[in-house]
This record gives sequence, C-alpha cells and structure tokens, in this order.
Amino acid sequence: MRESSEGLSEGQLIRLAADGDARGIRTLYDRYSPRVYAVVRRIAGDDDLAQDYAQEAWIRAIRALPTFRGDARFSTWLHRISVNAALQALRKSETRTKREGPVPEQIPVAPRREDALLQRQLERALDVLPHGMRRVLILHDVEGYTHEEIGDTLGVTSGTSKSQLFKARAKMREMLSVLDGAAQENGAEAWSI
Amino acid sequence: MEHLNAETLARLVDHTSEPEESAHVAECEACSAELAALRSQTEALGSLPEIRPPQGDWQPLEARLRSEGLIEDAGLFRKMGLAQTPGWMRATAAIMLFLSGTGAGAVLNARGAPQPLGGLAMRAGPTSFASSANVEDAASAVRLAEQNYVTAFARYQELLISESGIEAGFDPMSRYAALEHMAAVSQAAVRQAPGDSFLNGVLVSVLGEREATARLVASQNDWFDGRESTTQLVASRSNWF
Repeated sequence: MRESSEGLSEGQLIRLAADGDARGIRTLYDRYSPRVYAVVRRIAGDDDLAQDYAQEAWIRAIRALPTFRGDARFSTWLHRISVNAALQALRKSETRTKREGPVPEQIPVAPRREDALLQRQLERALDVLPHGMRRVLILHDVEGYTHEEIGDTLGVTSGTSKSQLFKARAKMREMLSVLDGAAQENGAEAWSI
Repeated sequence: MEHLNAETLARLVDHTSEPEESAHVAECEACSAELAALRSQTEALGSLPEIRPPQGDWQPLEARLRSEGLIEDAGLFRKMGLAQTPGWMRATAAIMLFLSGTGAGAVLNARGAPQPLGGLAMRAGPTSFASSANVEDAASAVRLAEQNYVTAFARYQELLISESGIEAGFDPMSRYAALEHMAAVSQAAVRQAPGDSFLNGVLVSVLGEREATARLVASQNDWFDGRESTTQLVASRSNWF
C-alpha cells in the first residue's frame, strides 16, 4: 500500500497524514527524515540525543499538520519545527555532558566521494564546538538563517548572533587546522582548507 | 599593520571590510590565505549533506504516534465510527474486542476464512460476556473469550500459512513495536481504572509478550546495524514501566 502513497502529490500526502493515515505519514517520513535528522543531529551534537530530538520533531510536526496551510513550503515548515524542537530539547537537557568529551568515532553522513574527508572533519569540529557558538553557526552557515531569524529563534539580539558567528567560524578554523594537521601526520589525505 | 585577528577575518567572509582591512588583506599573504580558508570553510558548511537517520528509527516513532492517537487505524474502527476516539481508548477497545472474540471474527470474515474455526465453535461471545450475572460469571466469560481468541487466532495463522506458504505478517520488530504500543495504552487504561483486574490482566499479558518478543528480537539481532545493541534498546524501552 505504501507504493500507492508514493505516487501522490505532496499536498495529497500532507492531507492524508493530517488525517492520521499511516501510509501518508510513513511516506512523508521516508521523504524528509534525512533532512530532519541532519539538522537535529548537528544541533544535538551526538547520536543518542539526535534520535530523541528527531522523534520529538516528528511528533510535533504530525500533531501540527492540520494547521499547515501551505503558506510556506512543507520542507521549510518541517525544518523550522525540527530546529525549534531540537533547540528546546537541548535547553531542557540540564544534565548534558560538556562538549569537551571524546570525539565520536563515526558520523553517518551520506557519502560523497570527493569530499567525504572534509565533511567528516566539519562534522567532528561541529560536535565539539561550544553550545552557543554551534547553534548560531549551524543556523547561519549550515541552514541559511539570517541574524534576525536567529535572534527570534534563540531569543538574542542580531548583534549577539553576529558576534557568536564570527567567534564560531574562527574556532572552527582553529579546530580544523588541528584536525588537518593530525590527518597529515597520520598519512591521511590532507584537507586543503 | 599587525595581522587581522581571527574574528575579524571571520567577519570579512560575508561582510564588507573597512578600507584599512581591505588594504591589509591585499598586501598580507598570511591574512589573505586565512580569509580564503574561512570562506572555503563557510561554503563547505553550507554544502553539508543530509544525514540518514539510524536504521530502525521508524518503529519507535510509529509506536509513539499510535500511542498518541496521531495514526488512525483504518478499517474496523472507522466502520464503527470510532475514528475520532483517542488512541489509547481505541487500542483498549481493540484488546477487549479481540478478547471477546468479536475482533477475531471480524478479521476472519474480512479475509474470507471458512467457519467454524478448526472445528471449535465459539463458546462465549459478547452476549454472554455482557449478560454475566455476577463477578464469577463475568470472569468465566473472560476466560472463555480468551480461549476463543487464542484458538481463533491460531487457526487464522494456520490458514494464512497454508494459503501463502509463509508465516505471513510475522516480523519480530514490528510485533515488538506493536506490543510496546499495547503496553503503553494498557498502562493508560490501568491508570484510569487501577483496581480493574481485567485491565491489569491485559497489561501483564502484554508485558509478558513484549518481553518474549524482545528476547526473540535480541536473538536475531540483525536489524539494528550495530549502532545500539538490541538489548540496550529493549532495556531503555522497558524502563517505561
């Protein structure tokens, strides 16, 4: 039955899913889960939290589907819900360990042969970036938010957003230089940034 | 002029520079190279790919969507006009329908399975259940209904296997997710009526089945891609109760 759902337009799928149709919801999930997971994974900074955040994002989105009126693209609407869900969950996680912990061994990034190393380096550096910087850097440089939008989302001024962004870029550059140096020492292909 | 500091260079990635900053970058090879690296870094961040969620991520989400009533179960409930009923109430109703034999009959009739079921006639149905004069009669009716359900379902499975040659519809992980859902709604039902022995019995049965299925899933252990052991997953879910 899922095959028939996959042939439907996005609008039809959304209506089905808003009515609680399991096939419609599953098809939307299959279509957008990599996008949702990517943003919550980067905000969360680790896999276990990311799974919880992604689930929360989907629950909120499916719950809110009847209110989706198509003013924005569905992917944009879902993305905003995912960002807000992840940021809110992150604020709540008071017992969370600090970022100075060990760097994850592996991050499940969709492979792209020519710059897989670069992506791994970036993801690792993002994971160990301090919280405040990471949120702003992800929202601005990865997700394309403006400083005004970041200010609205995080409850800070656009000036604070800019300041955090510049610090985050500089910190990333510093960490990537270290990672790149380590890679060269180990004989791995160097990243040319 | 001294080198520009890292944050200034980070600003120049996408902001207009002051005249003296531009002049310095134009003359200083080190700052020029650092700015180029920062621009490449920013461009690379904007091109990061999507990330596939871990394998098996859908099942717990589906279970939660069902437990919150966000997924409608089509068919029987809609026919009965229960589509707008909260999820846990519909799930509880489903348990009661199956235990009383009605659900099994509905499924069998929908599939066109022959009657009677393996030569065993239904010995108690909704009518006798509802007309029980006292608690003992009602308890007997429940036990009979349970027996009928088990017998009917076993026969249903037999017929499916004999027709298709495979054990149709049996997927341990799906069954675990379904039982997890049933456990959640059964617990919600028990919260509504803590002293109800029937509901408590259902909850205990469901939890027992869930644990048995968890062990089966753990023994297969080929569906979870090694990211988190099945035992860990099951243990974390079991903490609900």
